[in-house]
Amino acid sequence: MATATSITTPVASPAASPATPRAGRGSFGWVMGTLAGLGLLIAALPVVIILIMSFSGGTNLDFPPQSLSLRWYGAAFDVLFGDKSEGTMSAFSAMTSSLIVGLITMLASVSVCVPLSYAVVRSHGRWRHLAELLFTLPIVFPLVVLGVAYLLMTEALSRETGVDLGLLRLAIPHITLALPFVLRNCLSAMSGVGVDLEEAAMSLGASPLRAILHVVVPLMKPGIMAGLIFAFIISFNEFTVTFFMYTIDVRTLPIWMYSRTVSSLDPTTLAISTLIIALDVALIAWVDKLVAGKGSLF
Amino acid sequence: MSTLNSGRLRLALLALPAVVLLLPFLLAVVFVLRFSFSADTQSIDGFSLERYLGLLDPFFLRSVVLTLKLAALSTVICLVLAVPVAMLMAAITQPIWRRVVTSLILLPMILNLLIQSYGWIMVLGPNGIINGVLLKLGVLDRPVQLLFNEIGVLVGLVQTALPLAVFPILGSMRAISAQYLEASASLGAAPWRSFRDITLPLLKPGLIGAASIVFAFNASAFAVPLLLGGRRVQTMGVAIRDMISPMFDWAGAAAAGVALIAITLATLMAATWLSTRTTQWQGAR
Repeated sequence: MATATSITTPVASPAASPATPRAGRGSFGWVMGTLAGLGLLIAALPVVIILIMSFSGGTNLDFPPQSLSLRWYGAAFDVLFGDKSEGTMSAFSAMTSSLIVGLITMLASVSVCVPLSYAVVRSHGRWRHLAELLFTLPIVFPLVVLGVAYLLMTEALSRETGVDLGLLRLAIPHITLALPFVLRNCLSAMSGVGVDLEEAAMSLGASPLRAILHVVVPLMKPGIMAGLIFAFIISFNEFTVTFFMYTIDVRTLPIWMYSRTVSSLDPTTLAISTLIIALDVALIAWVDKLVAGKGSLF
Repeated sequence: MSTLNSGRLRLALLALPAVVLLLPFLLAVVFVLRFSFSADTQSIDGFSLERYLGLLDPFFLRSVVLTLKLAALSTVICLVLAVPVAMLMAAITQPIWRRVVTSLILLPMILNLLIQSYGWIMVLGPNGIINGVLLKLGVLDRPVQLLFNEIGVLVGLVQTALPLAVFPILGSMRAISAQYLEASASLGAAPWRSFRDITLPLLKPGLIGAASIVFAFNASAFAVPLLLGGRRVQTMGVAIRDMISPMFDWAGAAAAGVALIAITLATLMAATWLSTRTTQWQGAR
């Protein structure tokens, strides 16, 4: 709340000293610099603290840590891959589910968005607006309501027909959430592929399908890769909708972590968190390199 | 003519798989809407407005007020922080630093909300960093409660929505010509005056856009109030979850979800109306 007042008070003050613009510039720069610094601090603080505390040598979470060690990473690997990691409630099974759901989300969303983006771009932009609008809907839709909607629909389906979707129970909503981002990346990749290259291939005797598969798709590769990675990141980190959809048998790593920490936080969870952060950052850096800053997260 | 039609058919066929994958979403939307008008609480049966009338109980109305309050407060704080951050980002010329700051700001968007809440628990908790520092400095004699109440939720909402505020404002900021500010400075205006009379009015579309996105996003927040409010801060998101389980009032949850969307949409429409009005007004001036 201090930030709100600090911006309003100086607005009136420079009028008091119009003869000394330097003083005014000083207070303006100082206030803006402080607020910008505060904004950056708030954005990054939780992650920084997790990184530091995951290397703590102690058993409690007092900051700063008394000593540094890798012991909690050992404990994390033990929890994820060790002997205790058997059974459907285990971290290993949750991690496997997360990876499988992420893989399904990646492959399904990208394999439909590549042909869609071809169709949209080649129909001379007439459908582009409609397609973008339709496929943006899932991001504007509140996640809680999406969670309720998918839960009610899935439960009704299993009650009426007895169908058990298994991991698809989570993969179907994850695909919905990934589609907007994947389509964005495929569209921007497809926009760069000129129709003349395709026509050249066809004039040399390639069928339209072959021209697409052998000319267009390879040229779209960076956008396709970016789409794959974004889809995985979205699925792997999804919490809200999954929180509505999980069952005893079907749960992801974030849900496992939530049920573990619902009463208290422990350093092992922080080590697992750091590993997930490292994976996310590495994947984002990879996308950034692939599309050279043209990737669209929004 | 036949080649044109077959070309069109081919494009339609290429678009079809994506539409099929979007279908569950569209069905889910229709389903939740239909469920909210159900006469039965656990299955779709008959038509009734009972679920919506049921939302008028004091418990749910309190959570509506709380949600709107937290969303509005976090929007104001986000804007106050986002404008200076956007100014900083627009001012940075070195590519490396621009990248560092952009990544820092994007961090809350990319990373898992659950994991980030662990960070806040260690910062805000009774044994956390803020309490530790304040106790050591002698400002406090006993820890203040910053977590599992509205303060903790507010901090989390500000952090997770900050990138959503920064980028629309940055877009408007980049469109402001530096010449305006130079002209106003050369005419003797102090920086605060230039900021108030030139920068802020020109930023208005970006500010309104940012405010409506942040408000809509935070009004429907679920993970942050759940994790940092510890279920004690009953925002609409948490209240909806509690209707599903332990209360098993599915139709009620569906109606509450529809109400949440209606409130969000009403806010966005009001914001659009406001922004067109102000741009017209600026044009007239």
